[in-house]
Amino acid sequence: MKILKSARAAWNRFFFEPQSPLNISAFRIIYGVLVCATLLLLHGDWLAWYGPHSWISAATMHVVEPGTRINLFSLLPATDSAIVAFFWIFLAAALCLTAGFCTRVSSIVVYLCLTSIDQRNLFILHGGDTFLRVAGFFLIFAPAGAALSVDRLIRIRRGKENPGELRPRLPWAQRMIQLELAFLYFASFWWKMKGGAWTQGSALYFIFHLDEFQRFPVPQILLHPAALRVGSWLALVVEFSLGTLIWITKFRYPLLVIGVFFHLSLEYALNVPLFQWDVLSAYILFVEPEDLQRFLKRVA
Amino acid sequence: MPRRAKDAPAQPSRLKPWQYATLNIFILFHIFAITAWAIPFRSPFVLDCRELVRPYMLWSGLFQAWNMFSPVPKGTNTYLQAVIIYKNGETQMWDFPRMELLSLTQKYSQERHRKFVEILLDEDNAALRPDVARYVARMPGIREKDPQQILLMVKWSNIIPNGDGTFTRTPLDQDVFFRYDVQPEDLR
Repeated sequence: MKILKSARAAWNRFFFEPQSPLNISAFRIIYGVLVCATLLLLHGDWLAWYGPHSWISAATMHVVEPGTRINLFSLLPATDSAIVAFFWIFLAAALCLTAGFCTRVSSIVVYLCLTSIDQRNLFILHGGDTFLRVAGFFLIFAPAGAALSVDRLIRIRRGKENPGELRPRLPWAQRMIQLELAFLYFASFWWKMKGGAWTQGSALYFIFHLDEFQRFPVPQILLHPAALRVGSWLALVVEFSLGTLIWITKFRYPLLVIGVFFHLSLEYALNVPLFQWDVLSAYILFVEPEDLQRFLKRVA
Repeated sequence: MPRRAKDAPAQPSRLKPWQYATLNIFILFHIFAITAWAIPFRSPFVLDCRELVRPYMLWSGLFQAWNMFSPVPKGTNTYLQAVIIYKNGETQMWDFPRMELLSLTQKYSQERHRKFVEILLDEDNAALRPDVARYVARMPGIREKDPQQILLMVKWSNIIPNGDGTFTRTPLDQDVFFRYDVQPEDLR
């Protein structure tokens, strides 16, 4: 009975103890920038991937991936101009979300549009797209416009909020995004453990010798089979730790630093655009609000 | 993250009982659904759970898989080409964008092609190939010359581990894995 009581108390503390909305607001800004970046990188191929005469037609998509799905493209006229208009509206909503203007509405529009482009062409997605989509779903429910936003400035101007005070909010939606990030790492670790290449240490050798993934030159010493073997094992350790130990306060900051180094190394060496940044964006949710406030004050 | 070890109230004071209950159901359901969907565990129970949440996960866009470079990373460099055969007998090769030949900025914007090629080469996705052939036939500079047949050709080189911890690449091999006869309506 006592265990149940303390488990319930821990659950309530984790999901429902009011917390400063600073972290989720800062995440909103980074998230918005990344959605904009995704759209702008796609810009030259909006019609090639999603248009009426795209690589994969909507009809084929429907056949190979059946089921009822949130997909605004099914409501749009099958014309180039309608598709281009959709993307400009999407981009405008992402800019509003970044600025924190009409935050709730813009977060809903961004989620609907993001899900729609993913559903319209499932064959060009990477993990970063998936993370943005899932995080975007929970962002809808978060108090993402409570700080660092145009919405807050408007509320202050109207006398509805005190400029010197940030009202704590329920963090459950933020926690879901944090859980998603931890789950991403843990599931990646689990998948890797299912194949011999990672446990034997040969996995990174294959990856670094796939021409399509090479970005900047990696020092030759790091491409030695022994170094790559150690690297493969380290990747397992890092992913397991970020998926589990990140919840233990004393390990959190060191793990976040290791995680940043891990992803920046991959960003340097491997050509998987935006994935590393998409994942790193959620690290800010693990920073203590007081520390984030101190950092922002220092920057300001 | 709450640092203090103090006891939280049984129910957060800001929430009405029905709100608290609804939120808990929402949270628990999503933790269950995401875990059941994406955990790489194939027991009959997990598969049943996955089937249970499948309609919601697909509809909502919460579907996810975290198996990049795993369980075993790809051990082959592959390049995709389209061979266009025109009515007058002339042939032309068209290369799908190859990441290693692109500039840094192009790599950022064209990476989707890398993923697309990877998907296209998978036999499970053979249903996509006619669309791809039609797209190639419709490309500016190709459509005007009256293409008659599109062949999709893969070139590959395996990365082979040697016993001493080093690896070698095999010479390039090639295979035409799909042929498509272009129809007049494809070019409209």
